[in-house]
Amino acid sequence: MKNQDYLYLDHAASTPMRKSAMDKYIEAESYGYANSSGGHKLSRNSKNLLEDSREKIAELLNAAQGEIVFTSGGTEADNWTIKSLFNSERPNDNLVTSNIEHEAVIASAEWVSSNGYRTKYAKSDKNGLVTKDEFLGQVDNDTKVASLMWGNNETGIIQPIKDIAREIKTINPSTLFHSDVVQGIISDNIDFHKNGIESAAVSAHKIGGPKGVGAMFINSNHKLPSFLHGGKQELERRAGTVDVPGIAAFATALEEQQSRFDEEVGLMKNERAIFEEKLKNSLDIEILGDSMNRLPHISNVQFKDLHSEVLLIQLDLNGLGVSRGSACASGAQKPSHVLEAMNINPKFINSHLRFSFGWTTQVGDGNKAAEIVMQAVKEIE
Amino acid sequence: MRILVAMSGGVDSSVVAALLKEQGHEVIGVTMKLWEGPNGEMPESGCCTASDSEDARKVASKLDIPYYVLDYTESFSKNVVDNFTQMYAQGLTPNPCVECNRSVKFDHFIGQAKKLNCDKVATGHYAKIIKKNNEFELHKADYLDKDQSYVLHMLKSSDLENISFPLGEISKPDVRQIAARIGLKTAFKKDSQDICFVGKKDYRSFVEKRIDLTSPGKIFDIEGNKVGDHNGIHEFTVGQRKGLPGGYGTPRYVTKINVQNKNVTIGEKKDLLVSSFIVEELSCVNDLEYKNLTIQTRYNSEDLHCKIKKLSDTKVLVQLKEPAFGVAPGQFGVIYNGTKVVCGGRISPKVLENIG
Repeated sequence: MKNQDYLYLDHAASTPMRKSAMDKYIEAESYGYANSSGGHKLSRNSKNLLEDSREKIAELLNAAQGEIVFTSGGTEADNWTIKSLFNSERPNDNLVTSNIEHEAVIASAEWVSSNGYRTKYAKSDKNGLVTKDEFLGQVDNDTKVASLMWGNNETGIIQPIKDIAREIKTINPSTLFHSDVVQGIISDNIDFHKNGIESAAVSAHKIGGPKGVGAMFINSNHKLPSFLHGGKQELERRAGTVDVPGIAAFATALEEQQSRFDEEVGLMKNERAIFEEKLKNSLDIEILGDSMNRLPHISNVQFKDLHSEVLLIQLDLNGLGVSRGSACASGAQKPSHVLEAMNINPKFINSHLRFSFGWTTQVGDGNKAAEIVMQAVKEIE
Repeated sequence: MRILVAMSGGVDSSVVAALLKEQGHEVIGVTMKLWEGPNGEMPESGCCTASDSEDARKVASKLDIPYYVLDYTESFSKNVVDNFTQMYAQGLTPNPCVECNRSVKFDHFIGQAKKLNCDKVATGHYAKIIKKNNEFELHKADYLDKDQSYVLHMLKSSDLENISFPLGEISKPDVRQIAARIGLKTAFKKDSQDICFVGKKDYRSFVEKRIDLTSPGKIFDIEGNKVGDHNGIHEFTVGQRKGLPGGYGTPRYVTKINVQNKNVTIGEKKDLLVSSFIVEELSCVNDLEYKNLTIQTRYNSEDLHCKIKKLSDTKVLVQLKEPAFGVAPGQFGVIYNGTKVVCGGRISPKVLENIG
């Protein structure tokens, strides 16, 4: 089957690169291939391209230029903020996060904990929400970093970031509030400053940019110790030759995404609604967080007695690509910690699939996806 | 036909996928992920390593067939690994590959294949399925060196109907040649010999990490004289020669392990001879037969002529024509009529009562 005949509903995992971004990448690589740290003309080309991209991204995210540091993606930014502020001079510092975070945050938190610092996990309620009171209840005088994702990557459920950010400083003014907005930015308007987010992880490939490129937003009031050591790139904050073409393509992708935001997200919302409505009317299923405030691109469906491992394969064979929990090294997919955190009936924990719409979603995709699902369910029953 | 092929990443199952595809079937490749470390990491060696599923993926990609990794870890851990440690703790000799085939792999795999509307499942086992009248029989592979009918004895006619073993009539060197001909990367990959979840580590330290095995007891000679003490019966298996009290002039072997009172008995090689024993948890491929029978008491061991007497639906008494060494409780006894598998089951610990 050719890629174009295949319906791709796994945008939460990655998205195709936008044509404009791909063009920009090639253009930038031809024009700005030199090392942006060098002292000659071609390096200046490259450096100019880098700083123009930073300016554009900062403007689109309503941040100052100095607040944007380029990284290899969301995972690096999460690791950086969460790990780098803990040091042996302050052994009583603690970390607060939640039990529904992305693996990049959870594993970083485990690293902090294994180094002897206290790590506290605010718990999700059964609706997939980490409430303000639950989260702030974990924060105390020694909380160095607090981290809560904007919207969950498996359920799409949006967390009360603004409410938490507003009050967290009254408990501990020196706590750094970090948010993984990797999913959020796909389909929600996020202004870091207005929401009180002081550090954030952003990934380019979720919005039609290249893989392996991301940005870290860090409020100018805070300074993080270097995470990668080496050269003096990125104002001495992140060593390593900067991926200028990737960053230029990221800026272009973000620009296009922001300019078409209402249209693209409106489409995701509509197609998801059609998809969910159709499934609800014809199958014994449940939509996770149906009544909750969700990111418009994610639909997590519980198929009751059907094992999603087999359904995933049948969907793939029938031309629909979706995902199930998070993939491990071998590619086997395990029930997710997010569903466990939500106390999903263990009987049904292996019966979930995540369908995620994205910027390439077209009118009719919701209907087509539902048809394929209904056919696959009929086939495997 | 649409066929679901179990691909371990080794040369055998790779060739199976390739042959079926060449024959024009719609082939779907699957790797069963059986085992992982406590944090979800892949083992470093054995048949389930990350590099093995990587090999399987590459073969599938070369053959241009859909490929998936399915998670069998929960069932494997419960049915195979726990069983393995418990049996060792009891001084028995487990066979995890048989246990895996009978309680993890085939049932679940055939079930998944049916859901995916596959007509059959196929694996790279060396064994043959022969249809006679309306029954499906399980036979030894033509290439006896690699014959794996022993580890498949628990399959019933109704299972075999859904299975294909395309290597039943092919030799291992031929399999490697086919792999080389079609350019499979796995053509000259070494066969896996280790227990897949223990890998190259010593299985005793694997077991010791999992359960407390300290169960001190006494060691006796065959006449009933105490000749030493031990720290736990897991340190012994019947037939073992290493680590026993010495000074007898001739080698001594473990001849008996008593799970109840933890006593271990040692004797000479002749004391290990067994002439009759019970096979329990019996499973028959077709109807039970009584004539022209032989038995293998270990994987690919010598065929011993025997007679059987049915004790119940799941238990037979086996009487060997000639007493034999190497009958270890916990291992499986598989009974053949010529090349045809008749039945098989676990050798009962009660075998020890029949020594001599």
